[in-house]
Amino acid sequence: MDPSNLWRSELYFEETPLATDDQDRALVERCLAHHQDAAGALVDRYQQRLFNVALRMLGNVQDAEDVTQTVFFNVFHRLRTYDPKYRFFSWVYRMTVNESLNLLKRRKRTDPLEDDFDVPAPGAAADGAAEAEDRVGRALASLKPDDRAVVVLKHFVSFSYQEIAEVLEIPVQTVKSRLFTARERLRLALGEGVR
Amino acid sequence: MPSRDQVELIQQEIDGANTPEQSAAVRSLLEQDPEARAIAAELRRVAGMFAHVAEREPPARLKRAILDALPQPARASPGRPLAWAAHTLKLVTTRLEDAIMTKKALLIGSAAAAVVIVVAGLITGFPPLGRDAGTIGGVEPAARYHGHVMTEADVSLKNPEIQALFQNDQILHLVQSDVFRQVMQNQAFRQIMASDAFRQIMASDAFRQLMAADAFRQVMASDAYRQLQANDAFRQLQASAAFRQLQAQDAFRQMQSSEAMRQLQANDAYRQLQANDAFRQVMASDAFRQVMANDAYRQIMANDAFRQVMANDAFRQLQANEAFRQLQASDAYRQIMASDALRQLQAADAFRSLAQSQALSQAFMREAMRSQM
Repeated sequence: MDPSNLWRSELYFEETPLATDDQDRALVERCLAHHQDAAGALVDRYQQRLFNVALRMLGNVQDAEDVTQTVFFNVFHRLRTYDPKYRFFSWVYRMTVNESLNLLKRRKRTDPLEDDFDVPAPGAAADGAAEAEDRVGRALASLKPDDRAVVVLKHFVSFSYQEIAEVLEIPVQTVKSRLFTARERLRLALGEGVR
Repeated sequence: MPSRDQVELIQQEIDGANTPEQSAAVRSLLEQDPEARAIAAELRRVAGMFAHVAEREPPARLKRAILDALPQPARASPGRPLAWAAHTLKLVTTRLEDAIMTKKALLIGSAAAAVVIVVAGLITGFPPLGRDAGTIGGVEPAARYHGHVMTEADVSLKNPEIQALFQNDQILHLVQSDVFRQVMQNQAFRQIMASDAFRQIMASDAFRQLMAADAFRQVMASDAYRQLQANDAFRQLQASAAFRQLQAQDAFRQMQSSEAMRQLQANDAYRQLQANDAFRQVMASDAFRQVMANDAYRQIMANDAFRQVMANDAFRQLQANEAFRQLQASDAYRQIMASDALRQLQAADAFRSLAQSQALSQAFMREAMRSQM
């Protein structure tokens, strides 16, 4: 076999949900058995993904950091109650989305008029990537939080409808419906230029 | 105009979620309907917009903060004593920065504030809204209390929660003690009672929720926390000008942005604090480390009500309040904070009811005042 193909097949294997789930389960078991490196490995594995989900949900780096930290705290605190019948990533993504939604609710209660999306500084907007991030941030901010969660899981985590449904614990049809609503809004907003 | 079902099919096509039959139907639709083609193009543009946004790296400190907050068994611990000592030394050193650089660790200073509020709230009853609040428990306590308008709180003196507290000898001793009287006569204490910031905190839902939280009570009642409160270095730290200046800094309060963090690191008070012996002693003390490692403490850190109280402007004003600092530095206050009676009080179930009810706490206070006469 061509070595490059072998590398590809291993890479592919590593990225399949089944393999991911097995690796998660193994890490969880090692954490519970107090293996020194397992907690760090779980953090390495998920911190960037969860941080980015929280960041896109909240639009604020500090809040995203807080949410990620809280989620990991809760994950490790409740690790013994985790049921391995369910997929670990669904559990942690669900916690992240829920924690973000809770924070948005609190933010709305305390400061309903605040637009807390952390857009790049004007000087950075000349840069293409910063401009794209700015536009996306504003577009996401225009969505209802529940719709935003579906869009974030679809476009930033590349989950399937089924996986999104599993994470959010809603029917697949609801996922489609929220995605439809969100994209229609985004399509119209982008057509007008998101303000 | 394409129907909703047709637009949904177009979306699914972009997501790669269609069956071959559905894909064929979409292709056919796009060939025949220019409006459908326009919508598909716009939807692709929407999807493409997300594709241009790169994942952000989380802040480098995040992993360390997560791992430091883990329950002990899950945290990596070097096996050999020497390695463990090196690890511990490193941890203490890094906490010098962590204690300031993560807003969660503000508990060092702010839990002390929370405690004083608990005590103050308890021994005064929640402060009345009238402008004479500053005279509560002051030089002429008995007259003032006799002068109060009768409320349902007086009726609730028979309340089992209050009775339970007064049946405790140590608590009774506390409210009849000289130090209790001294605190109540303390000018700084009275200023705090009269301050808007204090009243706002006491009236907030978040504060009441926090007082009712088991984890909060556990932290407050823990030996380690009491030792920390009684620790000379801790008190010196709280009284130090650098620590106070730092807490009053906008940059310290607004650490949300990296710019504020940079300002903080360049801040003189921050540098002085790092060099402050008391600060180093506190960070290295067993009591501090035990508090930081305490499960209840971690629960409090993750508690919504706690976060709301910490983020509350009034709470921050109180922390920056000179009178508040004077009170914390007073001997009488320190004796109360270190007393077994206070610990028992905080651990008592009755305390929770008291902290939740303005009427009950006022009734408790009246009874305490009568017991001093």
